[in-house]
Amino acid sequence: MNAPGEGTPRGTGVRSRIRSVFTDAGVTGWMHALDLGDGAEVAVAADTPVSTASVHKLCLAVTVQRFADEGRLDLDEQLESLPGDRTPGPTGLSMLSGPVRMSVRDLLAMALTVSDNAAADLLIDRVGLDAVNDAMRALGLRRTVAVQTMRDLIASIEEDSGGDPARLASDPAVLGRLRVLDPARANRSTPREMTRLLAALWRDEACSAGRARELRAVLGLQVWPHRLASGFPYDDVRVHGKTGTLPTVRNEAGVVEYPDGGRYAVAVFTRSARTAARQPAADAAIGTAARLAVRALRAP
Amino acid sequence: MDLVKHVRYFVAVTEERHFGRAAARLGMAQPSLSQRIQRLERELGVRLFDRTSRGVELTEGGRLLLAEARPLIERADTLLGVAARVRSGAAGVLRAAVPPELGSAVVAALVGGFRDGSPGVRLALRELGAGTQLTELRAGTLDVGVLRYPVDVAGLGLGEVLSRPYGVVLPHTPGAGCGPPGAPPPHGGAGGPVGLASLSGLDLVLFPQPSAPALHAEILAVCRRHGFEPGTVIAGQDPEFVDGMVLSGTAVTFATRDRKLPPGTAWHPLEGEPLLEQVSAAWLRGRQDDPVVRLFAEVARSVLTERGGMVPVMETAAARRTTLPGPAYGYTV
Repeated sequence: MNAPGEGTPRGTGVRSRIRSVFTDAGVTGWMHALDLGDGAEVAVAADTPVSTASVHKLCLAVTVQRFADEGRLDLDEQLESLPGDRTPGPTGLSMLSGPVRMSVRDLLAMALTVSDNAAADLLIDRVGLDAVNDAMRALGLRRTVAVQTMRDLIASIEEDSGGDPARLASDPAVLGRLRVLDPARANRSTPREMTRLLAALWRDEACSAGRARELRAVLGLQVWPHRLASGFPYDDVRVHGKTGTLPTVRNEAGVVEYPDGGRYAVAVFTRSARTAARQPAADAAIGTAARLAVRALRAP
Repeated sequence: MDLVKHVRYFVAVTEERHFGRAAARLGMAQPSLSQRIQRLERELGVRLFDRTSRGVELTEGGRLLLAEARPLIERADTLLGVAARVRSGAAGVLRAAVPPELGSAVVAALVGGFRDGSPGVRLALRELGAGTQLTELRAGTLDVGVLRYPVDVAGLGLGEVLSRPYGVVLPHTPGAGCGPPGAPPPHGGAGGPVGLASLSGLDLVLFPQPSAPALHAEILAVCRRHGFEPGTVIAGQDPEFVDGMVLSGTAVTFATRDRKLPPGTAWHPLEGEPLLEQVSAAWLRGRQDDPVVRLFAEVARSVLTERGGMVPVMETAAARRTTLPGPAYGYTV
């Protein structure tokens, strides 16, 4: 089914192939791919609400740039992160031990390139969650809603797993209780709305052109090669993206640019049956599904 | 005033701690939600929230009422669920399913135990794989199931997860045809425990990958982690074929202790119990308080424990496995 003003669907064959890629990898997947040139699309349950996890940092980034456009914030503004009240996480400021002062611009780069939770929360505290939701509504994304900071999200996982996060890997019943996995109770969006956000960013409609360019460049510096980028192992193809990860959840939304000018926004959200944290096949399924979709969009 | 509906609004606002977000979640306008909360406050004669610039905070009275609100909503959902079943003519029947190869003793005891506990309700039990059960649970054509993990459990209510170890089936005669010529026998005599690593070089007969891709991947990951790289992974499900491959001395298979074995083969536990069968009852969250669903889940739990030799998963070696976080996996506490 097409939303009004959207392009034409392509290739029912590709959708069933994408579904078997997900099934083979032991995941359930929802995705949307959009040709930014002609608006053609490949949709697999693309209007299903999904738990976004760190993909929501994309919404935060756009909101920060809009604040800068409106003069409500200066990207050179310095914010302070103290170890005592720092949001935990495995990367970036989150894993540092001393105090840090950094500009809003650099905090944004940390939040996007290594999914830095502490940097993201500093920015969320600066603009407010409501502002992130207002910005999404202003862009016409009515189903993209943030209800929690990274801090809240981690606290809720600890609460739901009875203070013993190790149980997440060994007791499947604990996963059934995690609120962060329930799109009705966690930060959420749909695959289609995420590609619409990326399309707006690539068309300079999400914020002013200069800031959009800056944001696109940072998204091209994301470090992880195991999801979206794994589907495009070509030195002349650029993959921009933002990942999101929770127990059993692996997501990535981004834009793939080919040297001939072809540009494709892709958003893939998955949930695995296995609880193991390390599942290269599940990560790679995101890239494979994206490549199949982009190939269908590029077909003459 | 529709009390249950207003209490639902109250709970949504407490969960979101914000009128705007709660309104968005309920799919209504914020002013209308505010009015309804005020109406509930008037009706109860209790102020439920303190409105602050940062959102809303529960008052002490609100906290006391919240404790009563959730059970009220759950009971209401149960009542509506029963009403829906009566309307659809499904009352008096519980549509249930178990996965293949749960064991005949377990299935028989499950049917008998349910009948004894709920004489007024007929049990319509089928054998369905986990994937089909999930689809049917979500479509409402199945009331309750017993799932074999790993499955994606989002949106489901789950009974206690129970587990029993998989062992390995080997030919009786130690060394006969096992592994490369001259290799030591891979096990310490009939029935003795066997290390996974000692099976290296042998082929592995496993159910076809498409029938349960996640479990297939899980089993192979555990084998490799413990030093067993199967020569070939052979897809096979028919017991005659599987047993034939084992009898030939070139392949092994995994099974739970209660599997019927042909003469000439023996079941051996695996050292450290690295491979576990895990199952639990599962139902849609909306059926959480349906007494018939609860009865089935309870009977399943006791039958799997007593007849199936299963124990709660948190009492197994799996519960003591270490999980090392890594940055590429994005999430660590």
